[in-house]
Amino acid sequence: MSVWAALAGGFAGTLVLTTALSGASQLRLTRIDIPFLLGTAFTDDRTRAKVLGYGLHFVAGMAFSLVYYAMFLVIGRAGWRLGMTFGLLHSLFAGSALANVLLPAIHPRMGTPFTAADSSPLLEPPGFMLLNYGRATPIVTVIAHLAYGAIVGAVVGAAPR
Amino acid sequence: MGRYVPIRDYAVIGDGRTVALVARDGAIDWLCLPNMDSPSVFAAILDAERGGSFELCPTERYETTRRYRPGTNVLETTFTTTSGRVRVTDAMTLPDANLGPLRELARRVEGLSGRVAMRWRATPRFDYGRRARLERRGEIPVASHGAAFGSWDAGAPEIRDGGVSGRFEMAAGHRALLGVIATCNEPLVFPPRAHVEARLDTTAAFWERWSGQLTYAGPWRDAVVRSALGLKLLVFAPSGAITAAPTTSLPEAIGGERNWDYRYCWIRDSSFTIEALLQLGCRQEATSFFWWFMHATRLTSPRLRVLYRLDGGAHVPERVLDHLSGYRGSRPVRIGNAAADQLQLDTFGELLDAALGYVRRGARIDRDTMNQLAELADFVADHWREPDAGIWEVRMEPQHFTESKAMCWVALDRAAQLAETGHLSDRRRQRWLTEAAAIRAFIDNHCWSERLGSYVRYAGREELDASLLMMPIMRYDEPTSPRLAGTIEAVRRELGRGALVYRYTGEDGLAGAEGVFVCCSFWLAEALALAGRRDDAARSMDAALALANDVGLFSEELDPASGEFLGNFPQGLVHLAIISAAAAIARLPS
Repeated sequence: MSVWAALAGGFAGTLVLTTALSGASQLRLTRIDIPFLLGTAFTDDRTRAKVLGYGLHFVAGMAFSLVYYAMFLVIGRAGWRLGMTFGLLHSLFAGSALANVLLPAIHPRMGTPFTAADSSPLLEPPGFMLLNYGRATPIVTVIAHLAYGAIVGAVVGAAPR
Repeated sequence: MGRYVPIRDYAVIGDGRTVALVARDGAIDWLCLPNMDSPSVFAAILDAERGGSFELCPTERYETTRRYRPGTNVLETTFTTTSGRVRVTDAMTLPDANLGPLRELARRVEGLSGRVAMRWRATPRFDYGRRARLERRGEIPVASHGAAFGSWDAGAPEIRDGGVSGRFEMAAGHRALLGVIATCNEPLVFPPRAHVEARLDTTAAFWERWSGQLTYAGPWRDAVVRSALGLKLLVFAPSGAITAAPTTSLPEAIGGERNWDYRYCWIRDSSFTIEALLQLGCRQEATSFFWWFMHATRLTSPRLRVLYRLDGGAHVPERVLDHLSGYRGSRPVRIGNAAADQLQLDTFGELLDAALGYVRRGARIDRDTMNQLAELADFVADHWREPDAGIWEVRMEPQHFTESKAMCWVALDRAAQLAETGHLSDRRRQRWLTEAAAIRAFIDNHCWSERLGSYVRYAGREELDASLLMMPIMRYDEPTSPRLAGTIEAVRRELGRGALVYRYTGEDGLAGAEGVFVCCSFWLAEALALAGRRDDAARSMDAALALANDVGLFSEELDPASGEFLGNFPQGLVHLAIISAAAAIARLPS
């Protein structure tokens, strides 16, 4: 296990997660677009938002891999199964607290359940388990995070000490 | 049958998340919490016995006058009795810097003269009249489903028979305050009186500021501003979606089955909405709505659903609430809307027209949006030959509705224009133009009646339809061209009743009749204006506006004989049509 392995796993895992969500969007399974959501926190130009959002998403994905790494260290082992377990918890946290509560609270262009007539947000809030973005969104999100966790766990577990 | 107030006697208040209908007698008979598409807490308008309401009025005989505070959505109802006068100010308050509840309805009572004995009684019935449970937490009556009833100087609240009530005397110069405080999935906040009073005042100030920024300066300004304020209440602020009307199942004919749930966003209305918002200078709201509907339609693109939920969802199953008796016995009461599953080809034209109008006013669209719009145009080019359910979403066999075909032409014409200006790929432009020409040939060959001197409701029939007025409004051809001028005149002649206009002749797959469709009256005024008939247009406008209720609002339909309001209330499409018609007439030289 090493920090570099965690970062490499985080990069690969984010690549797969982003591709999976983008693919699901193209298949009309979901309207979730995490890079877009992140990027529009900084600009209302949709194209620039996506470019910026991809960068931010990779940074966030690698930061999360360090959290995974810390938990692998505490437990004393790493592997794809354990990584998937973390991925499951990660997706539940992302759907219930991160995207449902925290993101709308800090995103300057996103509505919240409190948004009233004196405001015109550009983005609807994702809702609990991102359900506002399509009924298949929770399933797609969980699967993508399971893949992310499995990759981070596998890479960290396989890396020499 | 219980207490049913004429629909005309309601006014609407709201906060951008939900709305309440306030009757002339001071009762709140419709309120859904936390959002306008949530289940109701007060629904006496759909069942006077079981629905629940919040009554507030003098204990003795009274007369009322009411108005919106100028430029606001804050309602003032003044009760006059032999003992004195009392004013009730109702508003759904907007959040401020203080810790406030998720939703708050404030009712300020002020003594204007004399001493008037007042009574109030709230009977919350959650989940469309199915759940009622009140208990006391400390001094405050609380419904366990997430609402509390605050009262200050309005008598000791008493919980009895599933309701909370109080009595008090209002002397000149004194004030009392009542409030509904609601939550959802979080602890209730019990605000102090000073906070509620302050929010009521800042809410009124916000509305004054907002309406003061409207840029319209033409004739019928009061009606246009009231329409804009009403439309703003239909905007679901958390997502930017615009609901067609905030009610369900107010009947199109008393005792009839034409009772629908309008608490959804119709793509059809998008074109009118964006155009109207931009005309009024509400660029922020227009942008928000454009982002919402491009986002909402992604799941189903290139096929468009007729309507979407306010959170962008496309799943809107229709259900019947058997336990509610309906407005004056008009059953069934429906929630959800089965029209969502219909194919209505005209929506493509409205959406692409909205996109063109949006871009023409300097807005940017990104590559994904461009691709999505191009896919929509391709879908129209592939499918315009199919029959559909038409703009009125009739529940009969699909037909080749003329208005649907014309709007398919609009879709391809607007896509070609967007391609010409570099906003869409030029690669498919020629195909769109070719198909547009084919649509025009179909309409001219199959949808024209020499006998009527008009386009007809659908191919091969000799029936008329007021939606044909969309053809001049959407510039299918020059409004002064012989065929469109003939169509405008035929609609006026055959479907008009004074200033009012019926929707169509012929069957629609449902039993019973309906009233005149109010938005068609304003479409007629706009079409007349576009045809250069300014005086006729102005007369139609004056006559139709005279039929609004005392606070300037319209429901979907009217009984032409009695003037009674029918259908859901207030209806956004009517108020959009008012803005559009007024602006069209204002553009003509007087």
